[in-house]
Amino acid sequence: MIDVLVIGAGLSGLMTAYTAAQAGPLSVKVIAKGLGALHWGAGTVDLFGYSPTDHSRPIQRPLDFIGGWLAEEQPQHPYSILGVERVSAALAAFTALTAEVGLPYQGARTTGDNLLLPTAVGSARPTFLAPQAQIGGDLSREEPMLIVGFTGLRDFYPELVAENLSKLGHQARAAFLPLDLLTGRKDSNTVQQAQGMDDHIRRAGLAAALKKLARPGERVGLPPILGLNDHAAAWADVQAQLGAPVFEIPTLPPSVPGMRLFVALRDKLRQMGVRVEIGMEASSAAAASANGAAGHVEWVQSETSARPLKHYALNFVLATGGIMGGGFDSDHTGRVWEIVFDLPLTTPQQRSKWFRPAFVNPEGHPVYTGGVETDEHLQPVDRDGKLIYENLWVVGDLLANDNPLLQRSLEGAAVATGHAAGLLLARRQR
Amino acid sequence: MKRLDTEILVVGGGATGTGVAWDASLRGFQVVLVEKRDLTHGTTGRYHGLLHSGGRYVVKDPVSATECIHENRILRKTHTHCIEDTSGFFVVTPEDEGEYPDKFVEGCAKTGVDCSEISLAAALRREPLLNPRVSRVFEVPDGSADSFLATHATAQAARQAGARILNYHEVIDLIIEGGGGPRVVGARVRDVVRDEEIEIRAAMVINATGAWANKITGMAGITISVVPGKGTMVAMSHRLTNTVLNRCKKPADGDIIVPVHTVAIIGTTDERVTDPENLRIEPWEVQLMLDEGERLIPGISKARVVRAWAGVRPLYQEDYAGASREATRQFALLDHKTRHNVAGFLTITGGKWTTFRLMAEKTVDKACEQLGTRKPCVTAETHVPGVEQGHYWLGHRLHEIEEDHLQGQLVCECELITRPMLEGAARQNPTLTLDDLRRDVRLGMGPCQGGWCTYRAVGIIHELGKAGVWSGEAGEQTAEAAEWAVAYAHSPKRHPGGVKASTDGAGAIPVLFNPNLLLHDFLQERWKGVTPILWGPQLKQERLDEMIYLCLLNVDHLPESALASPLTDFYLYDSTPNENLEAPK
Repeated sequence: MIDVLVIGAGLSGLMTAYTAAQAGPLSVKVIAKGLGALHWGAGTVDLFGYSPTDHSRPIQRPLDFIGGWLAEEQPQHPYSILGVERVSAALAAFTALTAEVGLPYQGARTTGDNLLLPTAVGSARPTFLAPQAQIGGDLSREEPMLIVGFTGLRDFYPELVAENLSKLGHQARAAFLPLDLLTGRKDSNTVQQAQGMDDHIRRAGLAAALKKLARPGERVGLPPILGLNDHAAAWADVQAQLGAPVFEIPTLPPSVPGMRLFVALRDKLRQMGVRVEIGMEASSAAAASANGAAGHVEWVQSETSARPLKHYALNFVLATGGIMGGGFDSDHTGRVWEIVFDLPLTTPQQRSKWFRPAFVNPEGHPVYTGGVETDEHLQPVDRDGKLIYENLWVVGDLLANDNPLLQRSLEGAAVATGHAAGLLLARRQR
Repeated sequence: MKRLDTEILVVGGGATGTGVAWDASLRGFQVVLVEKRDLTHGTTGRYHGLLHSGGRYVVKDPVSATECIHENRILRKTHTHCIEDTSGFFVVTPEDEGEYPDKFVEGCAKTGVDCSEISLAAALRREPLLNPRVSRVFEVPDGSADSFLATHATAQAARQAGARILNYHEVIDLIIEGGGGPRVVGARVRDVVRDEEIEIRAAMVINATGAWANKITGMAGITISVVPGKGTMVAMSHRLTNTVLNRCKKPADGDIIVPVHTVAIIGTTDERVTDPENLRIEPWEVQLMLDEGERLIPGISKARVVRAWAGVRPLYQEDYAGASREATRQFALLDHKTRHNVAGFLTITGGKWTTFRLMAEKTVDKACEQLGTRKPCVTAETHVPGVEQGHYWLGHRLHEIEEDHLQGQLVCECELITRPMLEGAARQNPTLTLDDLRRDVRLGMGPCQGGWCTYRAVGIIHELGKAGVWSGEAGEQTAEAAEWAVAYAHSPKRHPGGVKASTDGAGAIPVLFNPNLLLHDFLQERWKGVTPILWGPQLKQERLDEMIYLCLLNVDHLPESALASPLTDFYLYDSTPNENLEAPK
């Protein structure tokens, strides 16, 4: 029997699997219905961008914030449950892992600061770690920016980016290149365009075209098209041939930066002997419990096209995501439930209590703040704080008492809780 | 103050108002139409899209039924491309037994509504999701109509006949002169976009503001008995039926499902309200639509709901105080000279989309009578631009995109909108918010509710602005370009090449397109319409949209976030579900 079954292949699940397999070493398997939220996001690690008390300005030093205000005011927040040391350790482990797999992530020039990176509408987004191809957009730097789009590319508007960046006080201008520099396909999105840049002849063509546009001293911002499978070389080549810093600005899903990270982590897990099986939707579980004690999960069942399949393991990690990832479902009566174990949730079970009036609401919508409550070991507890299953861990967006999209903490919480759970599992099995 | 002189001033840019402008200009009148927002912003743009056969009224309201079938036949010719020939079923579910079906058949015969009974097996072959427990099925010539397109096409036909259509022009007051009894001689109008006042003088003012009619008559000290009757509708994310499905019973809440474009709409409730403007959708109304929809299509309430909205019927009934469902659906033409001794002023209200042309005809007949001229109505024999495309069909856009390999130009994968379609709409029709473009090309109306296309549309419009499309040097339009304005709005293939912006209205459209404002307004507009139905997969979708706009694009921290458009407050109206789960007794 394997040591750990991880359900969910998003960042939290992959991070748990990696840590458990590495630190144990434990035998681990990952099953998931589909690909996680990495394919939708910016491919960065947002740690904490905006404080619940002041949504207007980004937090400058998120770890200080987590160890200070948050620990004090929101002791039930997932970061507070872990404590700032475990969060820091997780970020260090993630940084080392990405370097090892050839997709190095970096932070701000001043260690511990949030980065501010340009978005595809030209706003400045706070994030903590970014792949090196995005670091060149660091808005604490003074170099003027040339934002280059491609005529007919529907997911990137360089004039809009440059105009808003200028309004925010950054020097930026826009330019266009023809789309056929990237791909010959008529119906391409950034994924196929990035694939086009895996070809070194095409990227030489792009570099030559950029060279005609860029002025001395400028750095060049592009949509995320610098290679998919051969990204590191594509980015380095274009930068070297152009002779100026080049950076990517993430745009609409499917997320090229997120896919690169997913593939790098999945391949690493495979090398370590961890199977990642996509297309396995966990739908139910069986547990035994002896009078009043915490239950013991025996197996999780997945639905496949052929037949239901029972997955046995000593330990189980639930990383199915929240409402967005599909770990929670809901209906018109206001019921919100966790789909595999039907774990108790703090989410209000009345639709009239789910939302606030405005789409962008600095207080956040209560339906998104709810989730699974755990003890300090990330094991789910019931309303009385009693352990429910002695061999089940919960990580990522399922956790209660945060609003990761509003606070910009989605990936940070995934990395931190995934890493912590992996270490706890390793310690337990040893 | 700017001043305009005309013969007829029409107030209201819905189906009726544009119909009046079209009819009157074809009869040779000088016409100006003013609408306080975008065309179809009121009731016309918020109905379920049924082209009535008249079947719904054959028992209760035979006059309306006769009008409907008459107009149904005409509109299929004059507005062909705005109509899908879906046909319609009236089905007898186990809850609908009794004498009604026989009365229905009899009523159809009396009112001239074509009706034939078909076998249940035949009905199920055509609509496999139809409740198999229905006992009888009658087929009638119902259709589904694109009321946005039809109104734009009517307005375009009016423009071609010489009318001026001024949207975002709000009437502030009527100008009334005395001497031999009061007479309305025009209106003071505010150009909402440029924030300036215009005085429009006219020999006749026609109030075609529907449920808002009292607001205009009130300016002349006249109160009329128009009651806004709120109807809530729910759009399912799939086209669960290709035929209009009606319950064969006395019309009631939630007894119809209309396939419109890519969705199926369950309609409607009918509640008296006091204010036609801000319509709150109650949880019980959504639930009622889904529960009633179950009787026509079992399982429908488990399907994904994409959006909910409400419109207001203008119900006119003198001295009537009963339930709004019971009020007649006939239209009312009020001559304020004979009724209230105020000359130069007509109100046309009541009625329904299907009868808008007839309403316009009767209104302009009356205007002719009072203005001392008599020219015959020709709208029944006149086509609006674009009819040669034939009836709308669901595969229309996909077919053109595949035929012409336009996949790379798609800016909305849900509704198959190409970039040239969007640009054409933005160039041709004064666009204040992305909501206006939504009405033109169905932007943001698919399952993701603007998740992808909002960003793309903002980027594209911003690029158009940068290219100077609205710089004020629009120049002369070619006749072809002018015709395009709406006729082919739904055709990915036929879009204008290098057409300048429309200069209709008072001068070129000002550049008030702040991209950040467009973005905020539209995200909030979409949010307003989805919150009443957010659960299950649509809630998950909304969370993904939040991931895109908050985490990826950080739109809540764009510069100039304090800007507001004339519609910002309207979109901010709180539509989140309240605790009213039960219908009031």
